[in-house]
Amino acid sequence: MSYTIPIGPYHPALEEPFKVKAVCDGEVMRSATIEVGFSFRGIELLCQKRNWMEVVTLVERVCGICSNTHSMIFCMAAEKIAGIEAPKRAEFVRTIVAELERLHSHLLWAGIGAEDIGFRTLFMECYAARETVMDQLERLTGNRVNYGMNRVGGVNRDLGGLPDLVAAMADLRRRLTEVVVPGFTANPTARARLVGVGPLTRDQAIEWGVVGPVARASGLDIDVRRDEPYLAYAELGFTPSLRTDCDVFARVVVRVEEMLESIRLIEAAAAAMPDGPLAALDGWPTIPPGEATVRIEAPRGEVLYHVVSDGGPTPARVKIRTPSFVNIPAIEAMVPGQQLADLAIIQASVDPCISCTDR
Amino acid sequence: MTAVVLPSAFADLPGVTGVRASANSLRIDLDHLEPAALAAVATRLGLRLGAVTGTPLAPEGETEIVHHFVALDHLVDVAVVSRDRSVPSLAPHLIPAVWAEREIHDLFGVDFPGHPDLSPLMRPEGFVTGMMRAPMCGARRLPDPHPAADPSE
Repeated sequence: MSYTIPIGPYHPALEEPFKVKAVCDGEVMRSATIEVGFSFRGIELLCQKRNWMEVVTLVERVCGICSNTHSMIFCMAAEKIAGIEAPKRAEFVRTIVAELERLHSHLLWAGIGAEDIGFRTLFMECYAARETVMDQLERLTGNRVNYGMNRVGGVNRDLGGLPDLVAAMADLRRRLTEVVVPGFTANPTARARLVGVGPLTRDQAIEWGVVGPVARASGLDIDVRRDEPYLAYAELGFTPSLRTDCDVFARVVVRVEEMLESIRLIEAAAAAMPDGPLAALDGWPTIPPGEATVRIEAPRGEVLYHVVSDGGPTPARVKIRTPSFVNIPAIEAMVPGQQLADLAIIQASVDPCISCTDR
Repeated sequence: MTAVVLPSAFADLPGVTGVRASANSLRIDLDHLEPAALAAVATRLGLRLGAVTGTPLAPEGETEIVHHFVALDHLVDVAVVSRDRSVPSLAPHLIPAVWAEREIHDLFGVDFPGHPDLSPLMRPEGFVTGMMRAPMCGARRLPDPHPAADPSE
């Protein structure tokens, strides 16, 4: 006889509220439905009540993990409407901060993933490695979250002490390759909890429209950084990580490989940092009537903003589509036939961000 | 995924009233939406439905619905305005439309005939369907909260 287990909305797999109703036969899940909306804040409406500079600060609060992503993509959309081109140095600064953000996001996720499979030692190692990144973000931007780096037309601050950043990246690479990577990929206990769990086939990935590491772990070779290059990615060169295993293990490996690529990108950007101004304009931006749809690759995958200006002091419409909004529903496709005990790591494998989803 | 999306690819789509192409994007305006036909074109071209934007045009009026399709390096926006607050649902044909249309129904009160489940997605308990329509329309023409100083003063 089937029975339904409601999990959540508090801490179903991580410290954000959403709800999963799993229909089970014994210990095997037959289906699941996801409920979100517990953190709905109406940020898209608030964007219409703030001026173009205030919205940069507002959308940075969409998410506490990929905060820079949101302020940056909004600025890029406003710049696209206004025909503003950010200076080269600003693009390199944005690239470094974006990749640091990817590193701390993936390490946060790796720690939670380790915790979800009961591997507490690896959880601590991931968080210790993450502190290397957080220290650099704090040193470079002044903040551990909500860095306040972006403005329409460029960035607010320069990055100082790049040699220290490069040294920190070398240390992080060592931590990843010596501890975190083997912890997930060579440890038999971790492999037993990850390999073959939560499958999402390539066809299902296309059907559900997933993005980011979830898509690439199912063999979909998509990454905005390469497909529609922005910032300094075309100059620095970039190779997406791709797996065809289509399971939780593949999602782990994709993120681990992405972290190593992020380190390489940061080192390359620091080495090639051009001289020049940090912003294309001083003071208040004027955004003429127009609209722009912009997408970038956040740590969790493609983010899409649709921004409309009527020439007024505030945006006329800001649509925010986060990667979690399209990745979380696909949990429903990963669950059938899986063990109930694996539900936590299956949910966690899409790196769900409820703050992003609910906005 | 396709790398180049040509405007001619949408020539057979019913209801096309306008096509605008720019460097890396395409906007198709429709006077009505035939979901099966749009889904067929998207599938044939390898387009992924990335997002759906709803923008209420008046507190008691219609809503512009823009479907944002993603190619490899292109964006294709397919726009249609609701009729009698209703737009046929893409959800039976394209899964990413399921949550997107639920949210627009929730917040702006647009009906999507054919949608399998329009239960609330974001709307908190106790709020009516379309709770964001009036506030969003009312917010569109606010005075500048930080007006530039008049140089003559």
